[in-house]
Formats: sequence, structure tokens, C-alpha cells
Amino acid sequence: MSTTNNEREVILSVRHVDVAFDVGGKKKFKAVSDANFDIYRGETFALVGESGSGKTTLGRAVIRINPCSAGEIFFNGERISGKISRQQDRDVIRNIQMIFQDPAASLNERATIEYCISEGLYNFHLYKDNEERIAKVDKALEDVGLLPEHKSRYPHEFSGGQRQRVGIARAMIMEPQFIIADEPISALDVSIRAQVLNLMNKLKKEKNLTYLFIAHDLSVVRFIADRIAVIHLGKIVEIAESETLFKYPVHPYTVSLLSAVPMPDPIIEKQRESIVYTKEEDDPNASPREMREIRPGHFVYANDEDMVAFEERLKKLESYHAEQA
Amino acid sequence: MNYFKKHMFDKYSLDRHFGKAPQEEPAQEENAAEINEDELFTFAEFDEKKSEVIAAPRYSYWKSVWKTFVSSKITIAVSILVIVVVAFAFIQPLISQFDPMKPKHPIEYEYHFLSPSWEHLFGTDGEGNEVFDVVWSGARNSLIVSLIATAIDMVIGIVIGAIWGFSKKMDKWMIEVYNVISNVPFLLLAMILAYVLRNKFDQFGEVGAFIPLIFTMTITEWVFVAYFIRTQVMIIRDREYNLASKCLGTSTWTMVTKNILPYLISVIMTYISRQVPALISYEVFLSYMGLGLDERHASLGRTISQYTSYMSGYPHLFWIPVLILALISISLYIVGQKLADAADPRTHR
Repeated sequence: MSTTNNEREVILSVRHVDVAFDVGGKKKFKAVSDANFDIYRGETFALVGESGSGKTTLGRAVIRINPCSAGEIFFNGERISGKISRQQDRDVIRNIQMIFQDPAASLNERATIEYCISEGLYNFHLYKDNEERIAKVDKALEDVGLLPEHKSRYPHEFSGGQRQRVGIARAMIMEPQFIIADEPISALDVSIRAQVLNLMNKLKKEKNLTYLFIAHDLSVVRFIADRIAVIHLGKIVEIAESETLFKYPVHPYTVSLLSAVPMPDPIIEKQRESIVYTKEEDDPNASPREMREIRPGHFVYANDEDMVAFEERLKKLESYHAEQA
Repeated sequence: MNYFKKHMFDKYSLDRHFGKAPQEEPAQEENAAEINEDELFTFAEFDEKKSEVIAAPRYSYWKSVWKTFVSSKITIAVSILVIVVVAFAFIQPLISQFDPMKPKHPIEYEYHFLSPSWEHLFGTDGEGNEVFDVVWSGARNSLIVSLIATAIDMVIGIVIGAIWGFSKKMDKWMIEVYNVISNVPFLLLAMILAYVLRNKFDQFGEVGAFIPLIFTMTITEWVFVAYFIRTQVMIIRDREYNLASKCLGTSTWTMVTKNILPYLISVIMTYISRQVPALISYEVFLSYMGLGLDERHASLGRTISQYTSYMSGYPHLFWIPVLILALISISLYIVGQKLADAADPRTHR
């Protein structure tokens, strides 16, 4: 898949990854099947899909919380899925960090903010003496717009946005290269979502980070992401640059997902028609599908017959946008 | 006042709100110039740092526990009662030097079965002993046994329970161990152990007499504590903050001590507050059955068992040790419960 983007360095590549869970006995539930994508250094790659589509599962597979049942994940060219050495495991932890969805649930309520933020430092002894550790914590707090005097406070004394920024500081203090943000603003009040998103963008620029941004809110994704992957029922159905995806959606699921976005204009909103996507549209006897490149950098999950239909749809969209311009 | 007038929902402001161009500027009222400059609102300086400051006083967990605990008058009263009772149990026997093997007045009948009075607080029994001395030295031994047994149970139970709750591999076989141990009839085990271990620890002197009883009370009891802790650990094991700790590379041991156990202080306190009185009753029960402390040591259970025969003639001999037992158990239980409540941060204000 890196054919079109040779000039860019791949930081994470996911190859044919399946994640399955035991459902008692020999039964397995496949939460993610045959996921394939590359993430380039310095970009924000978004994973969107409805609840239960497997986007969080996939994110957690990357950070090794959920084991992959098949396929491989490479980070900076090294395999990080399956059994790896202890040293590699520690490298992965240092270089890949996670920001969690619910800031209230993801902080230890019985520990001070100082402990919450230094936890990673303690585990890896990333400090010479106590003074340096405290200096690092102060710096991390300052980076996310909190005050050094917050160190001795407990998580429940903070507002939701402040707590999420503590979560971000905790991840940033490890100086990771890659951050998985698992719906970092879904649990936040609408008024502070932008604050957290802007902070994430600011830190990305300052520290040259790469994000895997998991979300279900398309407007947020459009704002923050460089490229978007749409995931449905554990399968990635379409990957494209974010503006391309919004302008030229070809997979029927992507089309229905985009049609569900509410419009701020009440007149347009009234006329908006939601397109419902059902799995039955797919012929179960169809030949096996795979990720195919329909335009440079625009991938879609399809077989030969689908490609014909998608090509036709894409041509229509292209002529429509050409007309508009 | 004109300032507010301007912002009423007239057509002009509504048009502006919905983005339409105003038809015409409303004529400025003539007395507008009369407004004093000081009456107007001025822009406040915006300081981003200031909006982050938390004004609430600093929270300290143990301080809040203490504050909540002493906020109730009943709690303070019961706590004082516990301190008095425990102090009595530990100090009074030192003064009285009561020894069950050396009755005070075994043959002087005039000292037998005296009614409670100022001179003989709880009266005397059939061997001329002061019931006051008998009861308190019995209470002391019962307390020592139950406190030590509780401590051993809790330490073993918490350590094993915490590992048990965390390890799925261990859970598979530990649950079978639990099933086996919890199905052994306790009385049968206690009887066998009492006979097997009797006088086996005499070389340890005074302490030696307590060892068989404490052993009996801990050999199976820890597994129930461990099971309880295991369930509690499992409840909070998969919470997101533990997942976050895992992503930061925190070891299992640190997770247990920093993430799990602080959350369990309250439930552990509740468990202890039930365990201490329960083990006092155990001790009394075993001693009553003749499976507890030997004749050389006073015990509430043995005392109650001996005095049962005086039930018809001198009922107070039976009821006094029973009441002391109830007093110790209930007050310890109440204080424990209150402490457990105070340890729960949801009760903190």
C-alpha cells in the first residue's frame, strides 16, 4: 500500500490483522478481521465507525492490550504483535502511548496527579533524581495548560477537560513517537472539545507526533485527520485522504455514514436524506473482497464486480465536483 | 439603564442575531450622553492560568477519613467504650494476677456465690474467685486470640486474594482449593486439631497454649478472606485506569499496591469489623466445646461453659460473661463499621 507514498516514512503498518475473542468453548468472536493499513510519520490517521465496529479493539491491538489472533503489526519496521522480547515490549510501551476515552475512569482516583503523571517515569526510571522527576512533571503540566500546583491534587477535584489534559500529559511525559487517541473527546463537554483538540494539534506540531485517532464523530475527524479509514463490522471498508473521503465516498457504507452527519443549517438539515446501509446489499456468494486502490491513495474494500460499480460512482462524483468548480 | 434597553429583543437586535442586515439604525436616545463612564461595564482582563486554579481546599484522604469518623457523636461514644473495654481486658488481669489453676478461696465457703456488691463487683463463683477477675482475664485471652487470628487471616487472605484476582491461571485451580476447603466440616477439623495439637507447643511457654487455637482458627479461614478479596479485585481489575497503568508499563505488583488495594480499604475494614467479633465468638464456641484454650488459661468460653451449671441458682454468673462478650463484640463491630464508612471516600465532604 506504500506504493503511492514512497517519499513518506511508514511508522506503523498493520497487515492482515484479526482480533478474536473467546465466547466460551471453542466459539470465537471476530471483532476485527483482515485489517490492513499504513500510518505515516507525522500524520493524523483517523479510524471511524459506529459503536461496536471494532475501532477501539484495533487500537488496543496496536498497543498490545488485545492480542492479534492473526496477522502482524510493525512499528518502525519491527514486528510488535505476537510474542516479542521483554526489551521490545518496553520499547513499544515507551514509544506508543494511549489517550483514553473517559478521563474520569482512566485516572486512578486514589492517587495524586503527581503520581498519575509520574507513573511512566517510575516504571522506566526516566529521571536522575527526584528533582528532575518533579521538573518533568511540572513541564508536562505546563505543556497541557495546567498549573504546577495541581500536582498534589486528586483527579476528582478537576473538571472533565482538565482531567483529559492530565491524561494527555501522562502520555506525553513518556516522549512517545506514536499516540493512540481512543475517542479522546467523546466523554467531554461540547464546550471544551475544541480546547482538547487544539491542544492535541499543538502538541503534535511541537513534538512531531503521529496520531491514530479513533472517533465516531465525522465533523471532529474532518477537522483533525489527514487520512481516514472507515471501519464497519470489523472490516475496514475505505481509506482515503480526509477531503477525498468527504468528496468522493465510494463504498456504500461510507456514503451512508456521511449522509448521517447532521447539518447546522436547518433548511438543508430538513432536506437531508439519511441513506441506510444494510449488509444485505452484499451478495454472500460474491467473490472474496480485498483492499483495492481505486485512485492513488484511495483504497476501498471490493471485488471485481464492486470495482466496476465503484468506478462508475466515482466518475459521477468527479464530474459533479468538476461542474461545481 | 439605556445600556440594557439596547439589548432587548427588538427587531433590530433580532435581525442582528439571525444575521440579517438591520433596516435602519435605531435613533440614539438623546440622553445617552448622560451615562456616567464609571457605570459602564469594562472588559476584564482574561488570564488563562487563573481559570485553571482550583479554589477548593486541598483534599487529603486520611484527614477526611478522620473528620468523617469523628463527626458522629455515637461513633465517638462507642469508640470510647471500645477503648475502655479493651484497656480493662488488658490491664485488669495484670493487677488481679488471676490464675484459673489457683482458685482464691477453694474451701472457704463464706466466699462462695457472693452477690455483686461494691466489694465484689460481679460477685464470686463456686471457687471463691472474683467473677470480675475471671471475666476480664477471659476477655483478654479471647481478644488476643481473635485479634492475632484476624491479623493472620487478613494478611494471608489479602496477599493470596490479590494475586488470585489478578491471575486467570491461578483462578482455575484456586477455585477448586476453595471448594475443597470450604466443604470441610469445621467442627470436625477443629476437634481433630485440638486433640492432635494439644500440649504440642508447651516449650514456647505462655504463648504455646494459644498456638493450637490460633492455628485452628486460621487453617481454613484465610481461604474465605482470599475469596472475598479475589472477587473485589476482579470487580475493579479491568477498569480503565488499570488499563492505562498497563499501557504505561506498570508491573502487576505496583498495580496491586497502588491501584487496587487503596480502593479496597473500605471493604477490608468492613470485613475486619465483622471478622474480629466473629472470631471472638469462634473462640468462645471452641472453648465452650472444650476444644479451645486449656485449663491453665482463662477464657470467656470456658467461663460461660462452667457457669452454665449455675443458671438456676445464680443466673447472674452466667449472664455477666455473656453480656461482656456481647459488649465487646458489638462495640468492636460498630466501630469497625463506622471506620469502614469513613474510609469510603464517597462519604467525604
